[in-house]
Amino acid sequence: MKIFSIIKKSLKENVRHIWLLILTISLTPFFVGFYWAVSEAEKPNYKILLVNQDDGIIFHQEKFNYGNLIIEGIKSIDKDSLQLPMTIKTEKDKSFAVEKLKDKNADALVVFPSDFSKRFQNLLTSNGEESINIEFVGDRTSIRYMVTAIWAGDIFSEFIYAATNKKNPVEISETSLGISGKMNNFNLYVPGLLILSIIMLLLPATISLVDEVQNKTIIRLKLSKISAFEFLTGISVVQLIIGVISIALALLVAVVLGFEYAGSLFNVFVVAVLSSISIIAISLILAAFTKTATEVLIVGNFPFILLMFFTGVALPIQPKELFSIGGYPITLQGLMSPTHSVNAMNKIMIMDMGFVDILPEITALLVLSVIYFAVGVWLFWCRHMRS
Amino acid sequence: MNPIIKIENLTKKFNVLTAVDNLSLDIKKGEILGLLGPNGAGKTTLINMICGLLDASSGDIVFQSSKKRKETRALIGVCPQENIYWPKLTCKEQLMFMGEMYGMSSKRAKERSLKLLDFLGLSEKSNVQAIKISGGMKRRLSICLALVHDPEILILDEPEAGLDPQSRILVRNFIKSLTRDKTIILTTHNMDEADRMSDRVAIINKGKLLMTNTSENLKRTIGEGDLLEITVDKDLSESKVKLLESLSKICDNVIIPDFSIIIKSKNIVEKISEIAETIKQNGFVIKKMTLRENTLEDVFIHLTGMKLGAN
Repeated sequence: MKIFSIIKKSLKENVRHIWLLILTISLTPFFVGFYWAVSEAEKPNYKILLVNQDDGIIFHQEKFNYGNLIIEGIKSIDKDSLQLPMTIKTEKDKSFAVEKLKDKNADALVVFPSDFSKRFQNLLTSNGEESINIEFVGDRTSIRYMVTAIWAGDIFSEFIYAATNKKNPVEISETSLGISGKMNNFNLYVPGLLILSIIMLLLPATISLVDEVQNKTIIRLKLSKISAFEFLTGISVVQLIIGVISIALALLVAVVLGFEYAGSLFNVFVVAVLSSISIIAISLILAAFTKTATEVLIVGNFPFILLMFFTGVALPIQPKELFSIGGYPITLQGLMSPTHSVNAMNKIMIMDMGFVDILPEITALLVLSVIYFAVGVWLFWCRHMRS
Repeated sequence: MNPIIKIENLTKKFNVLTAVDNLSLDIKKGEILGLLGPNGAGKTTLINMICGLLDASSGDIVFQSSKKRKETRALIGVCPQENIYWPKLTCKEQLMFMGEMYGMSSKRAKERSLKLLDFLGLSEKSNVQAIKISGGMKRRLSICLALVHDPEILILDEPEAGLDPQSRILVRNFIKSLTRDKTIILTTHNMDEADRMSDRVAIINKGKLLMTNTSENLKRTIGEGDLLEITVDKDLSESKVKLLESLSKICDNVIIPDFSIIIKSKNIVEKISEIAETIKQNGFVIKKMTLRENTLEDVFIHLTGMKLGAN
């Protein structure tokens, strides 16, 4: 009988914490729906950039550019009959195409060399062992590059085979973006882990704010002349220092254990600081909706999981592009600052890109931090500091 | 003299509940005003409105300095009923912190903190984290926190709650010593505390102010009065009627069981010699005389119809 009494009592308590109960049972269904909404799971699309550097040949006093012919041939294939979720786009300039690739506006770059037509012609006319060299460029740490490269290799081989009737007509050489070719699994995960160390700030930063509410010391602060902005900025600065120390320690440990990175440490520091500010700003919003450390730990799961698993920090996720500004894709995940943080870290530490290249991410982090902070201060004031 | 705080027709409603109902009260500079009322009478709501934590639904609170509402916050120090402190800060650290929050320089805040810790017997604990000191010490720390910015008005909600007798005397003397230059609003359930400390007492019930006066005046004028019990040497049953007639000329409320006389009357002390003489003239010798003066609790029960602490 006692067990029934315990069940009854526990049931009543759970039902009377109605918001926590709703949050707990709706968390996973929400994330399932959210994943469906923000990822390309429904309709994946792999983007190939194609640069034709083929000089062409003169054959029977006529100029041929087999590169162009192949491209037109491939483009003329009905996408539905190809049955591959791929888009092929040509670019004239290789370095421009590489930049697009680095900005994740495409998954792979295929380059036809200057002697493409010459080698193609040899294939057609000789019985030798000639083959055509095609260069693939991409981020070798990216699963999307792997998939795209395999499919693209097959398509080009099949197409050239159909035209020349020669087996194994294509020889593929790969060029890695940045230091992605040298990356092992450990190196691959470190940039994300660095941002994870900042996301870990979310709960302690929120608790340090909510402590004032739970201890009721917020009443003393309300009675003094302090404004919500002053109070929250003061707490945030300390959390920022903790965040920077945390990421510095994480990087130090990673380097000691063999992590190899490219790019400038100053850029890493800038991204770390901005990321920390944005996470602390999110903690202000979370603190506005909670009153005790226990509530923070329960309610905090919601933003914590979103930031960890839906921004590409812990797991790669292909975001669904809503629109773009100046070529920078705007996605739902983009509303969460770690998306930009991890992009920036990957650009710096894997792609060896400079400050100018990460300006879109820096701008996004700045804008989001300001918005989060303003919303956080306002909500905290409304919920905990207003008369 | 203008009151330091003038409360005019103050009302606070929470949905259908009227916590403070059209309350008007003048608080004089330098006085200790005791706020008495049962649980839920509206005392805390009134205090929260005075110190700016709550906005009034209607009515006004005017401060003598007539500064803007936000600026008046610095004029007030509040020691809430519950001890509110930063557990991980030392006593000195949190006092200095609060001083700085009120715009004091670090040097001034430190001086003031050490002085207050000394006054309230916490000097030895100045570098100890608040979580590690005893309950009574926490209460004294809470009073220090209310005073660190040297406010003109001090609001003390149950200041003696949880204090041992020695600490109670220390705090009581300290509060008394503040009245030279501070106005103190004191809420308490302890009638003795209110009686001993307050210059005036305001009795509140159901959000309304029932009475404001000095404790002495309230006891003298409200309630059934003092109670005098006299025991005599002989059985009174035979002379009861005659004695009752004689004593009723002096006091209204006289009861005579067999060996004692019980008289209830206001200001009975002034009539004691006359009563004693009358009893003697009737041939009795007084063996024992017990006087229980009218208390503030009697006044309170008379006005509110309930004992303090009862809901």
